[in-house]
Amino acid sequence: MNDPLHLFELHPLVTLTPFGVDVSLNKAALMMFLVAGLVILLMTGARASGSLIPTKLQSVAELLVEFIRGMIHDTMGRDGMRFFPLIASLFLFILFCNLLGLIPGAYTVTSQLAVTGVFAVGVYVLSLVVGFRLHGAKFLGILVPPGTPGWLVPLMIPIEIISQLARPVSLAVRLFANMTAGHVILGVLFALTISGGWALGWLPFSFTVALYGLEVGIAFIQAYIFTVLTCVYMGDALHPH
Amino acid sequence: MPSSPDPMFAGLGQALRVGTQMLASLIVGGGLGWGADVYLFATAPWGMAAGLTLGLIAGIRGARRAAQQWQWK
Repeated sequence: MNDPLHLFELHPLVTLTPFGVDVSLNKAALMMFLVAGLVILLMTGARASGSLIPTKLQSVAELLVEFIRGMIHDTMGRDGMRFFPLIASLFLFILFCNLLGLIPGAYTVTSQLAVTGVFAVGVYVLSLVVGFRLHGAKFLGILVPPGTPGWLVPLMIPIEIISQLARPVSLAVRLFANMTAGHVILGVLFALTISGGWALGWLPFSFTVALYGLEVGIAFIQAYIFTVLTCVYMGDALHPH
Repeated sequence: MPSSPDPMFAGLGQALRVGTQMLASLIVGGGLGWGADVYLFATAPWGMAAGLTLGLIAGIRGARRAAQQWQWK
């Protein structure tokens, strides 16, 4: 309890080293399997009835799908719908990771920079691949913003390269930092509650309750930001300028 | 069901995104300059200074662009 970061440490639960490759299962990997399973279960469960008058689960799923579709239409336009499966799975996975991580005893997978980094770099590389496939070498034109005077071009290209490279970095760091910071604050306040005892413990505990509500909101907002920025980057690849 | 996402969500999302974007541009610019200093040319500290300047410009441009998109909605 003295170290507020100890809850982010990972230790192997099951040690697996086939052929000398370490694929041991730890809490984070277990959580990821759980989250993926839960999302698949909920979504196929919502589809199962398929009735015109939606069941409770079905209307929640329809709300989510409509929400993601609106996000794609606003940022990418109509032809962005071909990325709907990617965007929807990304959003649902991150949202459920964030939300399930708030359950005491569970592990917040998105508080690992490795996880958010792989997501961010993967999404960014995919947007580059899509851009070059659709537009060929013309896609390099994103490095020169329209309306740049000729003498500014040598200066603008390094600036644009930096702002392009900053995209995956900011995507990964934002999600990771928000989730980690929220859980550190919650951990510190719980530790204060315990050390405060009956006389003073109620004060940090009431803060914990309030912050918990805020964290639920942050879980939604961060999942939303991550996916909407993914949409924006994909949209840039689909329609440069 | 409206086609656009929840306005509170969208507004907060747009606002929160600007800060980290600026910071990331600075980190990437400074990092590239520092890398060029140490591994490519022995020009310390000028590469990092130039990289930080470019990163700052890139960050401010990114923030401005985000704010412009915000106005359209």
